[in-house]
Amino acid sequence: MLDLQPHVAEREHYDELYEASGIPRPHYGPLAATLALLGRDEILARVQAINTALLQRGVTFTVYADSAGTERVFPFDVIPRIITPVEWARIERGIRQRVRAINAFLYDVYHSERILRERRIPRELVYSSKNYNREMIDVDVPRDVYVHVSGIDLIRDERGEFLVLEDNCRTPSGISYVLENRDVLKRGLPDFFRDYAVCPVDDYPSRLLDVLRYVAPPGNAQPSVVVLTPGIYNSAYFEHTLLARRMGVELVEARDLVVVDNVVYLKTTRGLERVDVIYRRIDDDYLDPLYFLPDSTLGVTGLMDAYRAGNVAVANAIGTGVGDDKAIYRFVPDMIRFYLDEEPVLSNVPTYDCTEPAQLQHVLANLDKLVVKNTNASGGYGMLMGPYATADERARFRETIVAAPRDFIAQPVVQLSSSPTLVDGRMVARRVDLRPFALFGRSVEVPPAALTRVALREGSLVVNSSQGGGSKDTWVLQA
Amino acid sequence: MLSRVADSLYWLGRNVERAETVARVLDVNYTRAMDLYSQRDGRSETLWRSVMQCAGFHRQHKLSTNGKAAADCFGFCAFDEGNPNSIVSSVRVARSNALSIRAELTTEVWEVVNVLYLYVAEQNLRSVLREGPTKFLRRVRDWMQAFAGMSDATMSHGDGWNFLQVGRFIERAYMTARILEAIDVENEPWHEAQRLLEMCCASVPFAQWSHRTPDARDALGFIVLHQNFPRSLRFCTREVDAALHRISHEPEGSFANDAERRVGRLRALFDYTPLEEMLADGSQAFSASLVDDYEALSADIQAAYFPRLLTA
Repeated sequence: MLDLQPHVAEREHYDELYEASGIPRPHYGPLAATLALLGRDEILARVQAINTALLQRGVTFTVYADSAGTERVFPFDVIPRIITPVEWARIERGIRQRVRAINAFLYDVYHSERILRERRIPRELVYSSKNYNREMIDVDVPRDVYVHVSGIDLIRDERGEFLVLEDNCRTPSGISYVLENRDVLKRGLPDFFRDYAVCPVDDYPSRLLDVLRYVAPPGNAQPSVVVLTPGIYNSAYFEHTLLARRMGVELVEARDLVVVDNVVYLKTTRGLERVDVIYRRIDDDYLDPLYFLPDSTLGVTGLMDAYRAGNVAVANAIGTGVGDDKAIYRFVPDMIRFYLDEEPVLSNVPTYDCTEPAQLQHVLANLDKLVVKNTNASGGYGMLMGPYATADERARFRETIVAAPRDFIAQPVVQLSSSPTLVDGRMVARRVDLRPFALFGRSVEVPPAALTRVALREGSLVVNSSQGGGSKDTWVLQA
Repeated sequence: MLSRVADSLYWLGRNVERAETVARVLDVNYTRAMDLYSQRDGRSETLWRSVMQCAGFHRQHKLSTNGKAAADCFGFCAFDEGNPNSIVSSVRVARSNALSIRAELTTEVWEVVNVLYLYVAEQNLRSVLREGPTKFLRRVRDWMQAFAGMSDATMSHGDGWNFLQVGRFIERAYMTARILEAIDVENEPWHEAQRLLEMCCASVPFAQWSHRTPDARDALGFIVLHQNFPRSLRFCTREVDAALHRISHEPEGSFANDAERRVGRLRALFDYTPLEEMLADGSQAFSASLVDDYEALSADIQAAYFPRLLTA
């Protein structure tokens, strides 16, 4: 029998499965019973079959630092993470509000700058953001939507309250794992689902397609939508193929596109065909060598002109990165109050701004207690976990922070919640986060298709796939 | 459809077909080398040299003469990454083409390529020869035929599938022409013709069709001209012609580009030329000119649908 020991008798963090008393929470009860019934050997055999299926399907990601075996299966933990309808309702409300506010902020900073004029956010902070894009000033994007797709990373603090850890408003990835994880789990361990009513996730691609068609330039009843990928070596290439396939649209690389007279076309076997909407999975910097990095081979020459002329929609909009800049993050609750006149449903993690001298001093004095993040990096690259770092690493970070304070923020170490996880054939507690995805078309929707990432290393608080993280199927229970 | 995608589908079709053909050629010859072509009288080397010529690469690869010709040739044709026609190379190229157009393929088609790729990557010459190569070769052929079946049964038969067909049948005709070029059957004992038939998967169909004392020229005629045998040059050429016309929407019998013109001339050759006239200068000269024709046809197709200039 699989030992579901109360692995967290003494703990400082919240556990998804066990209450502090060591009793399973009610919504995990049936799952615990099924696990006991199946037994260890049976479950491990099923896990092996599931991993083979993932490899054969090619559900892999690419690790950049690793030159040898670059294609890897994203580790999948079969024990699902379960979210109750009440918890989800709050998450949904909080994320809709947050994404609406960030979108309003983006419109504002590229138009009248009301929030800057009223000094709610320092002007320098916005202008110095690497992703603030001057070319977007006074550009009207279709339907005023900037953040068509976003992934908001949530964690649970010691009391179980969901906090926002960071916003991802450019090209967040992970939805393909949500779709694949559910599919392989249903096939590999159907027993798990027996006593649950779980919200399905598989309509995400069609909902995304609705959003993309909604922002198409007017005049074409059947707009042509494409997914733009950097190509097979991108870490999320699998996801790009899955979304294009499931939406039934072309997956294109920059070399498949050409701009003629400010109109974007596909190069096909029958000549040029017009493109109306580009769901791009390429960063702003690489999109158009005329405007951005001149030596980018991933970009489409003239795309920016076509976009500004209103002949093509680009999702997410160009310049959204200023909205998820880690230095802007701490102002998002203020944005919610400023633009929506509402109180934030989901709180932020306390954040120190290194550009303010007093806060910088505090950060430097407490490097051994804080997490320091590079405001320009993502995916768990370029961060310092103070308590776990060596004195050397801290000294090196101190120098870089002092040299470029705008590039860093610091946060106290938040104890992520833990969830039961199978590691080396044993059930252990590992830390998890949650990335729900929001789609912004006619309104903001948060499909019940969220990604749970899990830090597979014992004691680790870093869940990124590039840093030894895996994922779980995430069940939002039906109300 | 995207020119780049059409290009990848064409080469996917070609490489899948090539891996299957090379696997069959190796299997037939490995089995034959065990009895008919014994190691002792040096005939085994002759046999493997002919295999190198059709399944190897244009460049001459030196074969050992100390009785290791079989392992040598097998290694070069199955596992040598430097040989673009080896099974490993074909499967790797097929998989990388499939990966680059993953969004166009059905799950079934993608998985069959990916699974074979993962399987082949785990194999090596020594262990395959130790357990007898049939298992490995059989697996390659089975998966590649599964690819053909699944692409037919799960993909829409639109432009994408038609480009796959063009690649598949050009490659089949091209490899058949190379096999004909490599083996001279006319002045040899019947078992050479029999080897040729087996390499073209035609042994039993030929016997059913022929109904008389086996004759080398009959075998050649069957492989070149049979109407319905799916590996005859005539059949493959007709399939390429039909798929190209489905893509261009040009009626058959006329042409919209150089590729259609060239394939039409080849069709006419097979449809209206007596075998004796084709083989007037010997079967090998005839086959060599066909190899050139199919290479030129491939270049015409690229120029018509995926010119390199466009993808620069």
